[in-house]
Amino acid sequence: MSDAITAAHAFLAVMRRDLSIYLSYRTRLVSQALTSVFSLTLFYYVSRLVHVSGFKSPSSYFGFVVVGISMVGVMYSCFSIPELLRQELVAGTFDRLLLSPFGAVRSLLAMTLFPLLYSFIVAATTLGLGCVIFGLHLHWSTVPLSVPAMALALLAFLPFGLLFAALTVVVKQGSVGTSWVIALLSIVGGLYFPVSLLPDWVQTAAKLQPFTAATSVLRHLLVNSPIAEAAGASLLKLAIFAAVLVPASTFVLATAIRFGQRRGTIVEY
Amino acid sequence: MTQRALEAPVHAATRDGAAPTSVVGRQKPEAVDAFPLEMTGVTKRWRKDLPPVLNQLDLALEPGTLTWVGGRNGAGKTTMLRIAAGLIEPEQGRAQVWGVTAQENRVRYQTLVSFLPAGDRGLYARLTVRRQLEFWARISMLPRAQVNGAIDRAIHDFDLDQLVDRRVDRMSMGQRQRLRIAMTFLPGPEIVLLDEPLTSLDAEGADLLLSAVEKVLDRDGVVLWCSPSGESLDLAFDASWIIDRGRLVPA
Repeated sequence: MSDAITAAHAFLAVMRRDLSIYLSYRTRLVSQALTSVFSLTLFYYVSRLVHVSGFKSPSSYFGFVVVGISMVGVMYSCFSIPELLRQELVAGTFDRLLLSPFGAVRSLLAMTLFPLLYSFIVAATTLGLGCVIFGLHLHWSTVPLSVPAMALALLAFLPFGLLFAALTVVVKQGSVGTSWVIALLSIVGGLYFPVSLLPDWVQTAAKLQPFTAATSVLRHLLVNSPIAEAAGASLLKLAIFAAVLVPASTFVLATAIRFGQRRGTIVEY
Repeated sequence: MTQRALEAPVHAATRDGAAPTSVVGRQKPEAVDAFPLEMTGVTKRWRKDLPPVLNQLDLALEPGTLTWVGGRNGAGKTTMLRIAAGLIEPEQGRAQVWGVTAQENRVRYQTLVSFLPAGDRGLYARLTVRRQLEFWARISMLPRAQVNGAIDRAIHDFDLDQLVDRRVDRMSMGQRQRLRIAMTFLPGPEIVLLDEPLTSLDAEGADLLLSAVEKVLDRDGVVLWCSPSGESLDLAFDASWIIDRGRLVPA
């Protein structure tokens, strides 16, 4: 029990470290807020052009896409983990994590906490700014349910970051493949437009990853967008993704680290 | 440099010749009849077409001993320390702490061993000294009740009082080295591996380091000190070795 408490404190210490580093760059918060405002402005005026079936009004598309761009931020946070690892390798701090009793795998898992929590806050801020500045209508009766749904979504997304972190341990490049994967997932995840506009085979592919289900259910809960399948089915799908992929990706990450230790390349950067 | 134990058994260091019987530490070793740190038949090569950097290297350190290993640049000192620390694995052979390898029990191994790598890396540039020490204490899995005491002790032992709120990227190289050394000793390790620890240190910093080394030896811990040539300080090494063609030979 005391070991579990000590480990929990170590997890929190990693998150506190990341928060301290984040706060040491004083303009980051302002920069992030401006990014959200400009993205909202861009899509607000794009939404004025939308007159297609599936959206009752430009405002309904705006609500659709605001949730989408919030999810893009979450997606970027997941895929920032390999780059964070790369920074640790370059700074030589990864050696410290690896040589600590807490260990590299748990440290890397802990390193996901701050980016994911931060992306959660940024998503909430973006939605808030959308309401205040652009008159976004949130479906307040189901908004509280979006919090546990988002937490489940983050768990389902996390393995993607861990798998790319494992790749980074091996190939020493933080951003290898992440840019095009994010672009691809933005398309098949239906972040900017409905998946129903895509070819049938792409729609099938869209069901094979958790981003589509997560975005769909969060849209339903936040802005009352119509949902193709029952919200419960989407949440179950996310739970299955998380239950299968979190242990699997953790195992792959541990294996990659062990591989680097055997080859001696773990200390290279 | 004093070489007090060149007559000691080959590749082993002992202060009094007594068999290791007890160890003071956070985790009592299970196999007390084993060496605190032992490397047997360790072989490591970086490329198949090159000779091994370490070739069937043997080393055994007895409790309460300070050992120096030197050698030319690229001789394999850092590779030996990295294997001893559990950072990388040998192709052949074993590195074990009281009879157990890092692969067999990683948490126990890393709790007992602390490694100071060469250079000035391994610090978070944007964190203050106190934050850095707090972070290291936490991931060293120190019991909660011991964390603050260990941090205060590290600050005091390495004279970091004036620097506690200073960010690392605003510190001199010598101050950073002092912090790195403080982090190495903070968890109270039984086995300390030092790779060129005097880099950038002033005389005062070197004295603080030697004082910390003495404390480890006094509680029957071991210190393995690597540097290219003999240190100019008046260090009482119990054994001194040179890595030559991948093996240890008496200095």
